[in-house]
Amino acid sequence: MQASNHAGTTKRTDSTTDDAASLRLRDAQGRCRILVVDDDALVRARLAALLRASQFEVDSAESGEDALRIMATARYQVLLTDWQMPDMDGLSLCRNVRANTGGGYVYVLMLTVRDRKEDLLAGLAAGADDYVVKGAPIEEILARLEVARRITRFEHGPRAGKREDGPESLIDPLTGAHNVRYLMEYLPRELERSRRYGHPLAVLSCDVDGFKQTNERYGTEVGNELLRALVACAQNCIRKDIDWLARVSGDEFMIVLPETKVHGARRVAQRLREALAAFPVETHAGPVSFTVSMGMTAVEPKYEKDGASKLEDVLRAADRGLHASKRRGGDYATAAAVSSALAIAMHARKGGKYEIH
Amino acid sequence: MKSTRRRSRKEFLQATSSDGLEELRLAFHARLQSDRVHFTTLSAALARAEESPGWIFQDLQFRAHKIRGGAAIFEIAKIEAAAFALEQAAISASLSNANNTDVGVWTALEGLVRLMGELDAGVDPAQLAGAGRASAMGAAKRLER
Repeated sequence: MQASNHAGTTKRTDSTTDDAASLRLRDAQGRCRILVVDDDALVRARLAALLRASQFEVDSAESGEDALRIMATARYQVLLTDWQMPDMDGLSLCRNVRANTGGGYVYVLMLTVRDRKEDLLAGLAAGADDYVVKGAPIEEILARLEVARRITRFEHGPRAGKREDGPESLIDPLTGAHNVRYLMEYLPRELERSRRYGHPLAVLSCDVDGFKQTNERYGTEVGNELLRALVACAQNCIRKDIDWLARVSGDEFMIVLPETKVHGARRVAQRLREALAAFPVETHAGPVSFTVSMGMTAVEPKYEKDGASKLEDVLRAADRGLHASKRRGGDYATAAAVSSALAIAMHARKGGKYEIH
Repeated sequence: MKSTRRRSRKEFLQATSSDGLEELRLAFHARLQSDRVHFTTLSAALARAEESPGWIFQDLQFRAHKIRGGAAIFEIAKIEAAAFALEQAAISASLSNANNTDVGVWTALEGLVRLMGELDAGVDPAQLAGAGRASAMGAAKRLER
């Protein structure tokens, strides 16, 4: 989440905790989140003060590049941007926002001193929804932002959350992976399918080692870049359209592998570890290497003599494996059995090759 | 749920007065005075410029543009208009490779600096830059007043 101080500079707190649920709660309370982008700190501060007085929730950025960095970590309904700025101007910012289709629609209002008709047309062509010339009365700017609030409420509001086909309700806006809501909706279905057809199902819990320290050392922006890199890497290690992964919390992910036994999950874990070790992630702070700890478990219906595994059992087992890997110092994958019968079977099959917790 | 109904201007300003708007307005005025001093320095540099004063025109354009935007947001229409005039004059002078006697630039610069001075009558005129080339002396002196 962002916070702006009085001079309008941005100060970052924990951006990764900003989930869709809390955003919807603010929407339900009538709050609309705006990112004000202007290279003039006093202009940013004045706009922010005026907007807050009109019940908007406001953060600010001093350039287009700064705005994109902030928008990668948090969701905004409205972007209020100047045109002429250093590094990246308002037009380029608009185009970038439009090129990025994830995370729901962002209403863009350009606020600039450029008042020629060609400028207005260029602004709209770049993707702005509205265009106001600086010097217009504050009431007019606020009235136009009320329109933005009204429009975006449909896109981001509670109704959007109830839509079954609403992609933003099931996608993590930071990484593009599925979110915890998707996990809790679709993992039970995978379990049911596994039980019905007698097919195995593996689940892999994955957590970035030393993520908190990385955030403290390099900043949350770098942390977020690592999370995105992890998701990209993991997606290359799993089967497209069959396996899937979901971000469960800050730096914790679940990888779901249908039709896969625990040794298959182990191969995926090994691939992921090797892929992460191969190259450091190129972040804006330079190359950064990181490792992950993993816990894996599998449901194999033929060994479930003492009753079908429940969702909680599966998640708990994967978590046990993860914590066992952490205890070993990280960069490790540990298997944990859902049921005692499966634990015995796993030992018998692999001669105790897997660690069972 | 909090009401988000439109407020009257009076209500709105009352509500925002406690949000530091007055403090921001004063900060903007202070910055204008700092810009004014800078303009005076630039005017002296322009008066002394031997060859093409392109960089001075560009600096004037950049600063005038910034002042124009800020003045619009802080609702100081006269400053906004004067800054716009200077921005346009500086662009025009830059494009035409004008020399340091460009009347449009000097007139707009003089107008903007005078208005900025009116906002803060307490500024010591001695801060303002003085002599330059003879051909530009008149305009520079007007700025000193």
